[in-house]
This record gives sequence, structure tokens and C-alpha cells, in this order.
Amino acid sequence: MSGLVDIEVPGEVLALARAGDRPARQAIYAAVAPPTLTLIRRLVGQRALSEDLFQDTMMLFFERLPQFRQEAPLGAWLRQIAISRCLMYLRSPWKRARMCLEPVDFGVAAEVAALVTPGYAGDLIDLERALASLAPTARAVVWMYEVEGYSHQEIAREFGRSVSFSKSQLARAHARLRAWLEPQDERPSCTLI
Amino acid sequence: MHTDLASHSGLRRLLRALPEVAQQPYGYHEFEQRALERERAAREAGDRTRLVAAAIVAVAVGAVLLRLIAFAPQPPSAHGAPAVLPESQLPAPSDDSGARAVAQERWLASLPREPALVHVGTRSAVMGLQDRIAQLDDLLSSERNGRAPPARVQALQQERARLVGTLVRVRYAETLANDIP
Repeated sequence: MSGLVDIEVPGEVLALARAGDRPARQAIYAAVAPPTLTLIRRLVGQRALSEDLFQDTMMLFFERLPQFRQEAPLGAWLRQIAISRCLMYLRSPWKRARMCLEPVDFGVAAEVAALVTPGYAGDLIDLERALASLAPTARAVVWMYEVEGYSHQEIAREFGRSVSFSKSQLARAHARLRAWLEPQDERPSCTLI
Repeated sequence: MHTDLASHSGLRRLLRALPEVAQQPYGYHEFEQRALERERAAREAGDRTRLVAAAIVAVAVGAVLLRLIAFAPQPPSAHGAPAVLPESQLPAPSDDSGARAVAQERWLASLPREPALVHVGTRSAVMGLQDRIAQLDDLLSSERNGRAPPARVQALQQERARLVGTLVRVRYAETLANDIP
């Protein structure tokens, strides 16, 4: 699961932030912004698009913060907002077509991470590239299922599709990731599955 | 190298082991600036949309009005008549409704009693209007002789003026139709 869910915010800071206190909001932002951006980047891939969706998510988060009822951890609530914003974007046919035309830059990010992160394993770089090779929808399904712990029913609900859609997307994405990562002469080049 | 991938849980473990992306989010101050910019842009976009919608409505209303004016019949009025009629036949312009009615009647009187070319469509309308005007004239005379209240007489006169106006329009249309070769 992404680090977002594990983030704990002291009750008094949360109360102040809900009342609109700027330093409290700033403190919450500092805590939640990095994992939120990471989650969005994993789901949509592109840097500029991730920043746009991150801004949307955080604006909506602070706008709705006064209505937060603390039924779930703050991070889980924010994660839900972030995923909803990303999926709303992915569901738009026009934006999906635009995404297919723009390169996903996970590979570069992974190489940079390898340079700055001690002990960063090479197979993870390959995995980053393999993820980048997936279509946006398939990547989102894989990430939600495998990392965020969503069930097929929950994924289907978020996408507004059937459970079999989620299962088939996941199965095909797994096959593609394996095909990418296992040694072979030619790797698939099409990013649409 | 990637034997873990053979199993589902191996893939899950690898995915969860991926580090955070190198891209760092901007600070809170930058976030606030961008939020303000977005709100301003959204407001401006809303204003532009409203402006464009208003312009479209205005153009549509203008087009409808132009079309209505273009196809509307042009009856003679107290403020002037089309140039197809000789100047001497025009009802004299006047601000006073009584004078206008007199002018209209004078114009009607200047027309031949029967048109050169009888139109079946307007014939019955003209005769019907003339009959009603005659009835009103009789009624007006009897009311005046019976010393009816001035309001009643005035109402009858207004009704007569209205009928005369209608008759003028019909006769004028008839005149125009006769002028068309």
C-alpha cells in the first residue's frame, strides 16, 4: 500500500486545518504531498499530467477537509480523492487518446532514482520500464490491485465497469509485465493492451 | 533474474518495493499560488462562456427580428407609407390619433369604390369591415343623439378607428397586389 495510508496527523493539527488554519494546512501538506504525488505518478505516468492532477487533488482535499468525518485515516481519504481524480481523467476518451500520444517517462525517473537511491536494484528499473509499457488503464488497475490493495469489485466500481473488466485488465497486464521482464530477443513495442 | 515474476505474489512484492518517484512536489506556497491561478482562470473562463452565450443569443434574436421585419407586410401608417403610392394618396402624418383616422379615411375615400381587379381573398374582408364600420357609425349616431356618456362614445370611436385602420391595411395590400404585373 502507498505510504499515504500510514500517515498520521495529530488531532489538534487536523482540527486547526479543518478550521482553515494556514500553518496547520502547511504541515499536513508537507506530510501528504510526496506520497500523493508518487501515487498519482504511478497511476498516470506523465510528469506534467501528474502535477496537474496533484494540484487538483490537493485543492479538492483542502476544500473538502472541513467535511472530513474521520471515519477513515486522513491518508486513506486523500488516497481515495487522488485515485478518483486520476480515474476521472483516465475515463475521458479524449484525454486517454492524448495520453497515448505522449510518452510515459517512468524509465527516465527510474534511472534517476537509481542514481540517487543507494542500493536501488536493477530489476526494479526494469519493472519501472515494464510498468511504463502498459496502457494507462491497465497500469492503474495493476497498481490499485497489487499495491493499493483494492479488490476487483472496488476497481470495477471506481472505473464504472464490470468485475470481469478489472480481472481481464489485470491478467493481460501480468502477462505483459512477464513478457517484458523475462529475457527475450524482441520486446513488445505497442503500449496499448 | 526475474524468477519472482513467475508467481503473482512475487510481482506484488516487486511492485511494492518500488521507491517513491524522484519527482518532488512543490512547496505549500507554490501550491497556494497555483490554486489562486486556477481559480482566476476558471472565473475568467466562466465569464468568457457567459459573454459568448450572450453574444450568440443577441445574434440569434437580431437574426429573428431581421427575418420578421423582412417578411412583415408594410401597411400604410400615420408615419409614412412606401414609395409606391403617390404623395397625394399618403395619409398625412400626424401625432393626433383623431387626425390620423381622418387622414386614413381620406386615403380610403381617394381609392376607387371597387378595385380595378377584384381579389376574392380580400373582397369578403373589405366588405365585412365596411359593414362593421357602417354599423358602428349608426350606433355612434344613436348614442350621440341619446346623449350617452362620453366614455362610451369614445370607446365606440376607438373601435371605429381600429376598424378603419384594418380596412386601410387590407385596401393597401390590395393596391400593392394590383401594382404587381
